[in-house]
Amino acid sequence: MRKWYEETAENGDVVISSRVRLARNLRSYLFGSRLSDEDAVRLVNEVQAAAPLVKEKDGKRYFLCNVNRLNEVNRQAMVERYIVSPTLAAKKQETGLILSEDESVSVMINEEDHIRIQSVTAGMDLEKVFAEANFIDDILNEQLTFSFDDQFGYLTACPTNVGTGLRASYMLFLPALTMTGRVEKLSEEMGKYGVTIRGIYGEGTKSQGCMYQVSNQKTLGRTEKEIIANLDCIVDQVIKQERRRREYMLQAGYDEIEDKIFRSYGILKYARQLGTEDAMTLLAQLKFGADSGVIKLKGDVNLHILMMDIQPAGLQKLLGKNVGSSVRDRARADYIRNKLPEIERGRSS
Amino acid sequence: MLCDICHKREAKIYYTEIINGEKKEQHLCEECAAEHTSFHVKMPVKGEFTLGNLLSSILQGYYNNEEQKQEENANPNPVCPRCGMSYEEFLKTGLLGCADCYKSFGSAILGSLKNIQGSELHTGKRPKGYVKVKEVSKPIKELSEIDKLTIRLQQAVEREEFEEAARLRDEIRARKAQEEKEEAQKEGAPNA
Repeated sequence: MRKWYEETAENGDVVISSRVRLARNLRSYLFGSRLSDEDAVRLVNEVQAAAPLVKEKDGKRYFLCNVNRLNEVNRQAMVERYIVSPTLAAKKQETGLILSEDESVSVMINEEDHIRIQSVTAGMDLEKVFAEANFIDDILNEQLTFSFDDQFGYLTACPTNVGTGLRASYMLFLPALTMTGRVEKLSEEMGKYGVTIRGIYGEGTKSQGCMYQVSNQKTLGRTEKEIIANLDCIVDQVIKQERRRREYMLQAGYDEIEDKIFRSYGILKYARQLGTEDAMTLLAQLKFGADSGVIKLKGDVNLHILMMDIQPAGLQKLLGKNVGSSVRDRARADYIRNKLPEIERGRSS
Repeated sequence: MLCDICHKREAKIYYTEIINGEKKEQHLCEECAAEHTSFHVKMPVKGEFTLGNLLSSILQGYYNNEEQKQEENANPNPVCPRCGMSYEEFLKTGLLGCADCYKSFGSAILGSLKNIQGSELHTGKRPKGYVKVKEVSKPIKELSEIDKLTIRLQQAVEREEFEEAARLRDEIRARKAQEEKEEAQKEGAPNA
């Protein structure tokens, strides 16, 4: 079974993935901050009891698990692959997960809200992922009663999510805008249109490897369609700007860029120790080079997957054991060296 | 442009000060502006920049600034009867205790929603088969007919207009009986 991120997709040079999240709460329980441990267990059981119905109607294979009972490395690895949020992974109380086999649909239980339905796909297609999440929402609604108010819509633990409970986001790869220091300015401009830009693992996380998450800020007063259309409109502009910058960089400073990209390849290919941040930056430069045809790599290699693989917990999972950071840096360098294909040719060589 | 004081950070604030008719203009970064001027940037203290903090400063700002003052005097810290969360507690974390908090905190929540969301009315999806729940969706501030009559009754008693008071008492009784009857009918009826 191919995972969602193994598919190739439209606008893939800039838009890595599209994601939608719907926040829902059950009427019969208090919100997370007031939920007792016993109720948390009941909540997880009640929602997971709806999984067979989801399976039956959706046709996909689904897995269940209790995230709080997994070990630290496994939980962290799920965060790195965007299956669960950092909030859910950090929770001590009973937390649950319903996850589709291709990892494109996940239902988090007892996150900040009782239920967070998440759907994700490679490339630029919010409409598709919204349709999927909306479908799952309808199925769950057959068996569960959600807190809903005529005026405020879906009631959520935090008023920033109330109404549609919808957070739509794109993960963007912006090497040219990052290298030219344009991201901060961009962030200000987007803020005016109710769109935020932040690190790849959501709220409060840093950007790594020129990857950013761009999402809607407001959830109330607009329909789901309007929210998505607005975000699409802004992201279209960002894509244009990023491409224009890339073109300009390649025209005006080709030699410099080419040198940077080949150096990055060199380090990735021959380094014996690589930290996460270092490796992410180098891989971002290499990805930029490969996307723009400055460097041609033999065979098909998905650099975005490589970026996910080398995160600390994911790496430990691949190694099959818990190791300290210096051993990890060594293992990371080994892993990348093995995965990195040979160079076919550069444009100028 | 760099900050006029530290010459390191980007200047984001254009600060004009007029003291005794003397005008002084400066381009400052947020840090220096906070330190050297009376200009107060609403920014949480060093490193403590969490969404909860940010949110509560927005909420608090609203609660303290606008016509909420009146209500504040009447009940400075409402508590949600269902989950026991107080409005102050909510301001600290930015997280509500239960779905009923939206009604329990009444117009304070309404104001903050306007602030955060720029709107106070949901226009998106509704759950399939959603039936409007009479009690929950009634704004908490609205007085029912019975409440109004009760107030008038009290006033009548205070003014010692006992005839009027007796009439009001009977009317309240009649309305309550009527309401109970309707309630019973509704509960007995199958769900639409």
